[in-house]
Amino acid sequence: MRKELYLGRKIYLVLIFSFLFSNSIFAQIDGEELYKTNCTACHVMTDKRLVGPGLKGVTDKYSKDWLKKWIINSQEFIASGDEKAIAIYEEYNKQIMPAFYFTDEEFDALFAYLENPPVEEIAEAVVASTEQVSTSNKYLPIIILILILTISYILLILKNKLKSSLGEATESIPQTFYNQYKIFISNKTNLVFTGIIAFVVISNFAYSTMMGIGVYTQYQPEQPIAFSHELHSGINGVDCNYCHSSARHSKHSGIPSANVCMNCHTYINEGTDEKGTKEIAKIYEAVGFDPDSRTYIEGYTQKPIEWVRIHNLPDHAYFNHSQHVVAGQIECQECHGPIQEMEEVYQYSELTMGWCIECHRESEVKMEGNEYYAKLHEELKAKHGKEVFTVEEIGGLECAKCHY
Amino acid sequence: MSNKKTYWKGVAQLENKEFANEIASNEFSEHLPVNDFLKEKKTLEESSTSRRDFLKFMGFTTAAATLAACETPVVKSVPYLIKPDEIIPGVPNFYATTIYDGRDYASVLVKTREGRPIKIEANQSSTSARCQATILSFYDSNRAKEPMFGGKSISWSKLDKQIKQKLSEVKDKKIVLLTTSVISETTLDLIKKLSSKYSNFEHIMYDSVAYDALLDANLQSFGLRVAPKYHFDKSDVIVSFGADFLGNWLSQDYSKDYVNGRNPKNGKMSRHFQIETNMSLSGANADKRIQIKPSEQAYLISNLYRALIGTEQIDERLKGVYQNLKKSKSSIVVTDSSKKDVQLIVNAINHRLGNYKKTISIDNPCFLKKGKTDDLKLLVNEMNSGNVQVLITNGVNPVYNYENSKKFVSGLNQVETFISCSLYNDETSSLADYLCPLHHNLESWGDANPSLNTYTLMQPTIAPLFDTRQFETNLLSWSGENNDFHKYLKNYWINKGIDWNKALHDGYFKFNQSIRTANYRKSNLRNFEKVEVNRLELCLYEKIGLGDGSLANNPWLHELPDPITRTTWDNYVAISASTAREYGLMNKTVANGALNGSLVNLKADGVELKNLPVIIQPGQAKGTIGIALGYGRKKSGKVGDNVGFNAFPLISKKYVDIELAEGEHEFACIQLHHTMMGRDMVKETNLDKYIKNPTSGNYREKYYTYKGKLPSDQVSLYEEHDLETGHFWNLSIDLTSCTGCAECVIACQAENNIPVVGKEEMRKSRDMHWMRIDRYYSSEMTKQSAKKQDISSIKMYAQMEEPSEDPEVVFQPVMCQHCNHAPCENVCPVAATTHSNEGLNQMTYNRCIGTRYCANNCPYKVRRFNWFLYSENDQFDYHMNDDLGKMVLNPDVVVRSRGVIEKCSMCIQKIQALKLEAKKKGETIKDEDAQTVCSSACSTNSIVFGDVTNKESEVYKLRNDDRAYDLLDHLNVRPSVFYQTKVRNKQNA
Repeated sequence: MRKELYLGRKIYLVLIFSFLFSNSIFAQIDGEELYKTNCTACHVMTDKRLVGPGLKGVTDKYSKDWLKKWIINSQEFIASGDEKAIAIYEEYNKQIMPAFYFTDEEFDALFAYLENPPVEEIAEAVVASTEQVSTSNKYLPIIILILILTISYILLILKNKLKSSLGEATESIPQTFYNQYKIFISNKTNLVFTGIIAFVVISNFAYSTMMGIGVYTQYQPEQPIAFSHELHSGINGVDCNYCHSSARHSKHSGIPSANVCMNCHTYINEGTDEKGTKEIAKIYEAVGFDPDSRTYIEGYTQKPIEWVRIHNLPDHAYFNHSQHVVAGQIECQECHGPIQEMEEVYQYSELTMGWCIECHRESEVKMEGNEYYAKLHEELKAKHGKEVFTVEEIGGLECAKCHY
Repeated sequence: MSNKKTYWKGVAQLENKEFANEIASNEFSEHLPVNDFLKEKKTLEESSTSRRDFLKFMGFTTAAATLAACETPVVKSVPYLIKPDEIIPGVPNFYATTIYDGRDYASVLVKTREGRPIKIEANQSSTSARCQATILSFYDSNRAKEPMFGGKSISWSKLDKQIKQKLSEVKDKKIVLLTTSVISETTLDLIKKLSSKYSNFEHIMYDSVAYDALLDANLQSFGLRVAPKYHFDKSDVIVSFGADFLGNWLSQDYSKDYVNGRNPKNGKMSRHFQIETNMSLSGANADKRIQIKPSEQAYLISNLYRALIGTEQIDERLKGVYQNLKKSKSSIVVTDSSKKDVQLIVNAINHRLGNYKKTISIDNPCFLKKGKTDDLKLLVNEMNSGNVQVLITNGVNPVYNYENSKKFVSGLNQVETFISCSLYNDETSSLADYLCPLHHNLESWGDANPSLNTYTLMQPTIAPLFDTRQFETNLLSWSGENNDFHKYLKNYWINKGIDWNKALHDGYFKFNQSIRTANYRKSNLRNFEKVEVNRLELCLYEKIGLGDGSLANNPWLHELPDPITRTTWDNYVAISASTAREYGLMNKTVANGALNGSLVNLKADGVELKNLPVIIQPGQAKGTIGIALGYGRKKSGKVGDNVGFNAFPLISKKYVDIELAEGEHEFACIQLHHTMMGRDMVKETNLDKYIKNPTSGNYREKYYTYKGKLPSDQVSLYEEHDLETGHFWNLSIDLTSCTGCAECVIACQAENNIPVVGKEEMRKSRDMHWMRIDRYYSSEMTKQSAKKQDISSIKMYAQMEEPSEDPEVVFQPVMCQHCNHAPCENVCPVAATTHSNEGLNQMTYNRCIGTRYCANNCPYKVRRFNWFLYSENDQFDYHMNDDLGKMVLNPDVVVRSRGVIEKCSMCIQKIQALKLEAKKKGETIKDEDAQTVCSSACSTNSIVFGDVTNKESEVYKLRNDDRAYDLLDHLNVRPSVFYQTKVRNKQNA
């Protein structure tokens, strides 16, 4: 799985570079940065309105000089009596656009960017290519099997051909198989050997099946909203703690409440595609938000979002996120896997007791600089004569650390 | 060997051949419903399914069901839509508020998790067992849930309209508002507003257990109808004539002060005389307890006064009291007498001894009791004569707790409109025309003024669970105002210059009240002469658990063992052993180890109660009986109904007649051994010996070893645990300051999700409490006296079982001792109980297979076995089987299932949380933050928890104290829990 994704990343990089070089990169980077830091709070690159109008084709609609005037000081511009300016001011409920002071070079870069906005083919291409890789991998054993069968079939035909050319008696292919089988089972050593292998294989299968009961690695239920961690965390780089804020304070990492979603999605009401827009609309549906008027509907019966829980620890096991995230200083990904690459979240780790214990045996306690551990660290150093201690060595395998 | 030997199944088989044959042919004497099964014989025969097929199918379905069960169901996680800022799921919030139910008052912190209150902790005042248990009463599914008119539900707006109509119709007759003592200034203000709005309005307050005599006496002596503040910490001699001030007296917690005055470390302890009839908690703690009949009390108090002023010889029994009072510079004399004349004499004694302003401050009074029982009597008469048109009650239940309940009910019939504001549809409310269900304290706004200049605020900790309303809202809307009481309360105090937000955050504020202080005024004192009474006398009391019975539907309080009798789920007639013999009454232990008692019929001046159980109580005065109030509720809810009998009709009765009745009562008593049987579980000494030698009483046996004689803790076969590195948690219990109030037991029950098992199970000693408070009486027989008198050991032990008629009492809280050489750990076949490197004995429920070897091998008997699945089980219809009752469970502690052992974890969840907080902040743990729930609940600070590797900690000092000892130290199990010897102050007492 990892390799596939790694491969996917390579392809992604290659694609990005090829795309970047096909355009005039230098202007593009500058302009994009300007756009992102200054404009995105109120504008989008489509023709949808956010706080202000969508900027798709804005350079066609208005002249560059007009735009410059508007951007530098819209209030003055309106006061000067420009018709177009007044019209847009009225259209947007007399909302004032703040003034931005750009240099001429910056304006050029910005307009260049606005004229040629980035196309969203990149993401799609990446998705397509990863899929291809994974398909070929999945069918590999079957392909090999077919290959072996074909080769043996060809060989048998060859053998028959050779035999008939020598004038010896030939046998049909099924007959060959049957005879070979007869010879095989007539030998007791063979039988015992096969028996042992079969026993081992079956026991192994049974054991792993039994051990797998209650283990839900790769569990990937369908969620009420097709929220993509890849998009939010991976591509947009939203910090995990922004949504899962209680992970630092509580035993629960916390599924963000809808008002956290609305912090951004009050403005971002469109997805990268139609599907995404539909999914965002589901949040609005839950909280009762009208994306057109950008207001909450009064007297709306809000509908809680029923997410499907993926990581289920049994009730008798106590787990505390803040313990691991703050005191243990471990990254989310250590247990949750490459979450920033998951379009749809699945359970990455086993979450079995063995898995917990394994980690507690290996992980070292971050004692440096933590006053709490100072005394204990000195005592342990004196006792064991070493510097670094694992969780196990400070009692991390004791029953009542997790069961009470 | 002959194989013709006959084994008889019993005498019946020998005597009755026919019956014998019958049972011989029928192996299972129980009726098996075979015929029901094979009723349709024909269809069975026709069916092609053979027995073998059936078994195959059975096997298949079982296997299929097992495999199917492996599939976990889909779990939904529903986050908040708009998360309140202050809530982080998994992190508790604390709100400062006030608990006042018209009787018990406490300023508390309420711990809430995800918006639901789960635990009550002390804030400005200490809490009591009852206060801790109110959290469960809040989630009572039997609470009144909606406003009702004539038994049918009605909307609040309609109800308001109708009531306003009814109130304004009143012309010549009266409107009476009957409440308990109201301690809220705003409530009183609102009542005043309502009374000015309607004509002939009267407000009457009464307390179910009245303190009229004390209040009226103070009114006469000082011009203030209040109870003074008693400084038990400042007095050298405490003399109480029947006032159980460590129990329920005045609903105040005096134990903290009391214990502060009794610290042997200071080389000084107060001397406490308790002159009483029933064995009370205060009597159990007293240095000298004198048994008297209730009829003698007035004479003895009168005699003491006259002796102090030198006009009379002191009674022989009070000699010690007299001499000590004479010598002492600061003392307190209190009494529970219901005679005003007697209370006046007590005031005179205190005045004579110069106690006012020293140990009793009348100018710093407490306002918790304001009731006037006479007013209620007048009201009942007026109701019967048809003078009352509208009766409004708030939080009172006179049909249950007024002594002449019948007369009250007949009076109600004359009342045109009866409006009851109540938490429950109880005995009184069920007779009401309008039932206005009340908010619980935890849902209400409010203020309280428990004592001078002290105010505490009440704030909701959760949105109302039902369609209820608080009383103040009713008052507002009936007087036709905007019914937002929150706003009203806030404005009221802001207008008086209070920093509202700070006050609300702290839960209290100071506000200067003007009060007319008066000097002591002499009254004419009545002389009480010695009287000879030859009748059986009655003395009523309230239990530590149930009190006056208003929380009767609370299973925790029913299951809390009475500190003295150790009996649960009952009230009874307590009687002394010699009086019991006179009447032919007995207590006996039956084959399954439970206690049975005789039954009596009781008659007292027109009141007749039948089949009351009898318990023989050491220390009960001869010729008297004691009965607890608060039981025998009829309409309290599923838990409290018909438990025990109602003693309120007896409240003014003095003499009773009893006669033995047929049959026996089955008690659920969990401690049948009354004495320590010559062992020294509780080590004790006296103050004078302690001052000479702090280790006195703390004798340690030494044993022969190859190194010479050594105390047990220096001999070991075990490899020692490393307890120096990291934390080593210890718990110290001071037996001198433990009063046996049982608050810790309820606090533990609330914190650790301990189930209620009910009377049947308690009787089988299947109690689940993680901590118990053992009570031991002293016995006349000791090992020394047996040696002197050359008594055989069999006879000695037989006599040791008998507690003396006038016993000394000790209390000893016992929970898992967390042995560092734990006997339980060695015998567990599955390593479900193991030792932690922090000195804790861990119990892992999910590993436990229920062999109970550990419980058998535990020398302290602190391990509890879950015989049933107590949650989700309608056989245990208390609180864990209903959705509402489950809300009280602590989400940080597992609810144990059937078939596992459980025990005290030393609040491991709190230790872990404490460590985590410190780790996250990168700080060391502060000693005062380390608390178990029992140690934080303990108002006398007798339970101290902490880390002994921290040399600064209180527990480290206590561990190295001369009084510290391990329970049963000869076993050498090295407990992490240790005790401090009990020091009494009884020389010259």
